[in-house]
Amino acid sequence: MNPVLSVKGVSKHFGGLKAVDDVTFEVRRGEILGLIGPNGSGKSTLFNCILGQLPASGGKVEVDGRDVAGLRPCDLNLLGVGRTFQMLQVFPEMTVLENIILAGQEHKGTMFSRLFGKPDAGLTDEAKRMIEFFRLTHQTNEKAGSLSYGQQKLLDAAMAFMAGPKLVLLDEPAGGVNLTMLAHLKERLKAFNEERGATFVVIEHNMEFVMSLCTRIIVLANGRIIAEGEPEAVRNDPQVIEAYLGG
Amino acid sequence: MTEFIQLLISGLATGSIYALAAIGFTLLWQASQTINFAQGEFVMLPAFFVLAGMHFLGLGFGPAILLALVASLLILGLTFKRVIIDPLLPHGVLPVVIATIALGILMKESVKQFYSAEAQPFPALFSERTITVLGAVVSVQDIAVLLISLSAVGLLQFFLTGTKTGRCMQATAQNPAVAEILGVNVKRMILYTFLINAALALLASVLISPIYLAKFNNGETLGLIAFIAAIVGGFNQIRGAIAGGLLIGVIDNLAAAYVSAQYRSAIPLILLIIIILIRPQGLLGKAEGRTV
Repeated sequence: MNPVLSVKGVSKHFGGLKAVDDVTFEVRRGEILGLIGPNGSGKSTLFNCILGQLPASGGKVEVDGRDVAGLRPCDLNLLGVGRTFQMLQVFPEMTVLENIILAGQEHKGTMFSRLFGKPDAGLTDEAKRMIEFFRLTHQTNEKAGSLSYGQQKLLDAAMAFMAGPKLVLLDEPAGGVNLTMLAHLKERLKAFNEERGATFVVIEHNMEFVMSLCTRIIVLANGRIIAEGEPEAVRNDPQVIEAYLGG
Repeated sequence: MTEFIQLLISGLATGSIYALAAIGFTLLWQASQTINFAQGEFVMLPAFFVLAGMHFLGLGFGPAILLALVASLLILGLTFKRVIIDPLLPHGVLPVVIATIALGILMKESVKQFYSAEAQPFPALFSERTITVLGAVVSVQDIAVLLISLSAVGLLQFFLTGTKTGRCMQATAQNPAVAEILGVNVKRMILYTFLINAALALLASVLISPIYLAKFNNGETLGLIAFIAAIVGGFNQIRGAIAGGLLIGVIDNLAAAYVSAQYRSAIPLILLIIIILIRPQGLLGKAEGRTV
């Protein structure tokens, strides 16, 4: 079976700095792949290149075997690729429900209904199920800007999943989230992966979170892959220990 | 009292036209951090599209307005965005400000050069009759202007909050990067904003020109007042722009009658200074934080 995502020799240079240097890996259907590395190792830049938010300096990205060079993020979303951001990214002036409906609507409807259709786009029920899934029911009609940080992270994830994507890139989902909320987020992500077969790539600093969530881990340092494998194997890899402690 | 009602209604009527232009400032700012200093000229020019259609092409008033709508959408909407804003915006707000000031001058001088330096009579949309409301004599034109502007604003609000595209435009204004990731075609939403601004400018132009005549330098005052209206009301809120426009229209009229006609044009500026001193985010605006 085709990998969901295949990254072939992708590089990104900023002047003389090689932020991402010839990175190649594949993401298999249904897996939760962790992408870890010390600060400045190129993780977020790699995400941005994959999604076309930054033009890569070289290499190729394929989604389901299709070259996505030159596609804009909104086109990729229609191909089934979603992402969440490191910094909080919700629409603060809209309610939780409106945020989630917005996240799902571009995939529905005809040209006419996309232009003049009702803003709920027939998605209210599905959106409510998603809100329930992420345990945000009590906040359904609150403005997203008024939620706690952890709740906004959940909302962010819910929005990324709303379009029913094949692949979601999660950029530091655990950052700044308290422990209770973190356990909850992890459990929800796992459930989503098992129930709907969604594939994730997770960038994360929190080692415990990554080790317990992911099925496979890739370690980046200075823009290059230095290790790849099961969580246990990666944890004990001397190069990884060196990169984290020595770097 | 009857005089007061008369002044109030005609103030609301002109104020509602200011509001249309002020909303344009707000929309462009929200969608793309563009401040269009040619906004006054954007309101001045469509009247000349109409006049040109009537005089040079022999069109009737109605068809000439349709032609002016198409010309406005193409020139003040599409071309303005593609040729001036898109290339300059990545370099920051200041180049856009300078370019739009230059554009305003270009539009003004072109009309003066190629059409006329004289004020041109513009066909009235409505009869010049008056009716009596609560003892006050009110012109039908004022009431019609007020109703049309307010309906246009209502329609716009409905579009922004009641349709999917409107919601996507709001999302684009609140957080373009995320909107894009969620599949919203951000570039197209921004284009829609520019087209809406062009249509509002046409409407304002057609409503105000019968009152003030069409003249190449009309944009100077109009642009300034609309800008002040947007700031007074709150630059980042459409309802702020509406409130600001109506407020200035009314204050302007009342001040001219009761305070001093000589200092009339100073009144909006005084209001602007007061608002900036005591409530810089505007009457209905929200304080905005920006990372630099």
